Amino acid sequence: MEPIASHENWRNCFSEVAPGLLLFARQWVQSAADAEDIVQDAFVKFWRRNHNIHNRGLLYSAVRSLALDFIRRDARRARREATALAEAEPAIEPHFELEDDAQSALAAAVESLPRDQREVLVLKIWNDLTFGEIAGALGISQNTAASRYRYALTNLKKTLQPQ
Amino acid sequence: MNDFSELEKELRKLRPAQPSSVLFERVGDALKDCRASAAADAKPRRWRFTEWSRRRASDIDGKLVRARERERTSQTPYSNWWSLGFGLAAAAVLILFAVVTMERRHEERETIAQSSTAPKTQPAPLRAERSTVPSRFVPAGGTNLVYNTRDEGLHFADGSERPLRRVRYNTQQTWRWRNPETGASVRVSYPSEEIVLIPVSVQ
Repeated sequence: MEPIASHENWRNCFSEVAPGLLLFARQWVQSAADAEDIVQDAFVKFWRRNHNIHNRGLLYSAVRSLALDFIRRDARRARREATALAEAEPAIEPHFELEDDAQSALAAAVESLPRDQREVLVLKIWNDLTFGEIAGALGISQNTAASRYRYALTNLKKTLQPQ
Repeated sequence: MNDFSELEKELRKLRPAQPSSVLFERVGDALKDCRASAAADAKPRRWRFTEWSRRRASDIDGKLVRARERERTSQTPYSNWWSLGFGLAAAAVLILFAVVTMERRHEERETIAQSSTAPKTQPAPLRAERSTVPSRFVPAGGTNLVYNTRDEGLHFADGSERPLRRVRYNTQQTWRWRNPETGASVRVSYPSEEIVLIPVSVQ
């Protein structure tokens, strides 16, 4: 792959990574709009610093750190929204474009995973990161990343098994 | 790992939700801004309160975010203009205030200079006035608020066989002075710590 940040057209590059980045950001923030803000901020910073594909983990690391900052900064707002939303019907902002019931069940199973397993799964499956890159992005060892991935798949299999 | 190959295949078939077209425009704008000004950091442009209230409304109605996104981005430039407007207004008020204060001082000096018949002694009243202003403040009261008391147990002072109980007080002391003529008051407040040794008689 050619260096991600040396594309003349950032639009091509962004359209490749944006869905996966958004999905990754939504591990922390519920709202798609908030996730888009985080992804925008991270991508612009990444692009400005002209990082290349070998440092792709940095882009994900930036998304993660911005998302965590966002949670801390907006904890009050989040609480207020949670209270308001608890009274209303739950918002429908799906993480995936679902085609049938089987996919809905699979998506629900993914969303029910513990966060540490889910973020590894998201990075591996929908962002095509290697375990090395995942380890760099999440600040964990490669072995931990691999074992979390394995646990995630095991849990998914258990959840999806017919009772 | 082969046990999971089917599951992985199924997972890969799930397609993440696509970003809104507005996001592309926003990233494009932010990158353009970056080129124009390296110092300008690309923060997401939003007006939190408006965005929140709109989201709540749309969520309650069960509508998706597309329309909201359009509305939100159409509002974003205003947030910048509002901040700019408030900033400029605040700066203007500050400048106005500074100018008025300076003019008033200047006028006071001129009045003193004009009313003085002995130019040689002119600085003396000014100095006297300055020096007497603080002296007009008279003590108006003080408080010593103990907000924490800690008993640190028995201790023996150097060379003494008699035990002493050591108690540590954390206090907040506040002193007030008041100028009876102008009504101005000065208040000084500071935290302090006091350790008291109380002799203990053992029977």
